[in-house]
Amino acid sequence: MNARAVAAWSAACLFIVLFTTNPAYKALVLAAAIASLAAGAGLNRMRALLTGVVLIAAFATLLNFISAHLGATVLFELPASIPAIGGPYTLEALAAGLSGGVTVGAAIVAAAPFSLMLASHDVMDALPAALSRTGAAIAASLNLVPSVGASFVQVSEAQRLRGWRPRGPRSWAEVIVPVVLSSVESSIQLAESMEARGFGSGPRTALKPSPLRRYDWLLVAASAAAVITFLTAHAAGWAADWYPYPALSAPQLDVASIAACLFLFAPVRTWRSLE
Amino acid sequence: MAIARISHLSYWYPGAEEPALRDVSLLIEAGLTVVSGPSGGGKSTLLRVLNGLVPHFHGGRIAGGAEVEGLDVVSTPTRRLARAVGFVFQDPELQTVYDVVDREVAFGLENIAFPPREMAARVEEALHAAGVDHLAGRSVRTLSGGERQRVALASALAMRPRLVVLDEPTSQLDPEGASMVLDAVRRLVEQGRAAVIAEHRLERLLAHASTSFVVEHGWVSASWPDPGPPAIRSVSSRQGPVAWSLAGVTAGFGGRVVLDSIDAVGHQAEVVALSGPNGGGKTTLLRLIAGALSPMTGKIERRPGRIAYLPQNPTALLHRPTLRAEVSLTLERAGESEPPEAILSELGLLAVAGRYPRDLSCGERQRAALAAVLPGRPSLVLLDEPTRGMDAAARTALIALVSRLRDGGSAIVLATHDSELRSALADRVLMVSAGGVVESESHSVPA
Repeated sequence: MNARAVAAWSAACLFIVLFTTNPAYKALVLAAAIASLAAGAGLNRMRALLTGVVLIAAFATLLNFISAHLGATVLFELPASIPAIGGPYTLEALAAGLSGGVTVGAAIVAAAPFSLMLASHDVMDALPAALSRTGAAIAASLNLVPSVGASFVQVSEAQRLRGWRPRGPRSWAEVIVPVVLSSVESSIQLAESMEARGFGSGPRTALKPSPLRRYDWLLVAASAAAVITFLTAHAAGWAADWYPYPALSAPQLDVASIAACLFLFAPVRTWRSLE
Repeated sequence: MAIARISHLSYWYPGAEEPALRDVSLLIEAGLTVVSGPSGGGKSTLLRVLNGLVPHFHGGRIAGGAEVEGLDVVSTPTRRLARAVGFVFQDPELQTVYDVVDREVAFGLENIAFPPREMAARVEEALHAAGVDHLAGRSVRTLSGGERQRVALASALAMRPRLVVLDEPTSQLDPEGASMVLDAVRRLVEQGRAAVIAEHRLERLLAHASTSFVVEHGWVSASWPDPGPPAIRSVSSRQGPVAWSLAGVTAGFGGRVVLDSIDAVGHQAEVVALSGPNGGGKTTLLRLIAGALSPMTGKIERRPGRIAYLPQNPTALLHRPTLRAEVSLTLERAGESEPPEAILSELGLLAVAGRYPRDLSCGERQRAALAAVLPGRPSLVLLDEPTRGMDAAARTALIALVSRLRDGGSAIVLATHDSELRSALADRVLMVSAGGVVESESHSVPA
């Protein structure tokens, strides 16, 4: 799997989901992203991600429902004297919140193949030559991330046994300071090791250059087709936008825009065959 | 012919008044060169001169000259010297850039824009030279410490350097991992390469060494290391009442059982050593006794009193501006009136009492962490790999300190791979392995 092809597909998903206000197309993109990721990474590995996405989408929905007191269909009302949350609660605000939640969810799932399906060196190899050193530095620092969590557990346990007790935010300095210092020291040691292996010498090469294969090109083509078709439909006035306010209406659908979204299901087949 | 030549070199770290290296002159030739000396004496600094990390990475002030493979170290950047000198660091986890073994070994070659078509063969050659061909394609995270360190060695060898420098490469490893690395180094030398190694476990290397330097207080002398007097066995003359006990305890993490239905007991004025392979459950057992980990089932009891716990990573403790302040913090919390200088003197740290603990060398840090947890009169002392990175003198000081605490009535539990420490101190040895704990008859059990 080529990281550039994955990037093209992710970008197409993000483009449509952020370009349109129509929740039907957003939902289609979300479905394409979930189906593709399930095909490539498997549902088990997605479980934590999906839980997170549902929670974030629910939070986005709730936030709009509570804060946007607009719309004609009032479901219930809290006294306006209550600061921040007082006022009418409307069906339109709920629908707009749901649409926002789907947007956030689709964006997260569309970007997830980079963490769930690609190794850090795959991503680095896909970067243009000018960014290869930055990429190597990022790949190296990502390797340190798990050690920070382990360090926090170890430091808090060691300090607790030495008599430390959490008593307000300032007391946490005894844990946070060693964790931060240890992380900085780890980074410096890693940088020293990279320097000792010639990092920063100039342009880099790669052990296994990752060329775009036939199925990668197909994915790039499907992603491009999705964007072009959607843009064309929008320019022609077929891909109608959707506004929940002042009164809720059903989103309009057209065949070309649906077809554009369906192109984004292309990885379901290619990523499953790679497995 | 000399591969490296250092002439009248002195070096000061940034802001330091005293030099870390003083008027060093030496030649390094083909074969194995062993560098030894006490912790904080300047071994790591000397090794870093050989690939230019000192002064290019660390900054500071340098006087005199150094040349490696005809390259002037002071004027040649480290990234250029990397082609002539391979370097392996102490901690295998902190020198890994990629998450797959062959990519990791290729990192240096990628940096110097080595032709991709020839790279795979070069990686294969380096993996073979380090004895880890079978690990190609494996995720680095799944490797043991010894395997990781040999991958680091392969990464250094991939550049085909004339000189390979190893800075205490086994200090973080168990005996099996250390053997793997030292055997690989020995093979390299037999293949005709030059290697410089700083190491505390010298017994396996000295027979193969062609040269030896001792580094102490920044002075370097061409002499063979003094192994020091053998540790004197110090056992308990009296055994007190039960200090801690575990009955039918099962424990683990994330649903994984590490220790299964174990029973164990320790007494006041007794040293119990925990032995066994890495991952066998020694640290888990220590954490259970300390009360840092709750058992899934079973019962743990301990006598009331202060617990002194040294974790595997000594830097987990150190955060005060001076070493003296670290010790004072523990004493204040324990409500003890002992002056901090007492334990600092006992561990040979009085001279660095006013220094920032994280600026100390690896071995000194380990002693600093011991000083931070052991002052006063703890009733239960739990030490996880206390001799990691320690030289012979520091180990002798630790043995004396632990003996004093035990004679004062403390119950002591050591998790250690160090057979010398075990032989010197342990009243009893518990083998912790494969989820079980068994009392060992012998003190010289394999770690």
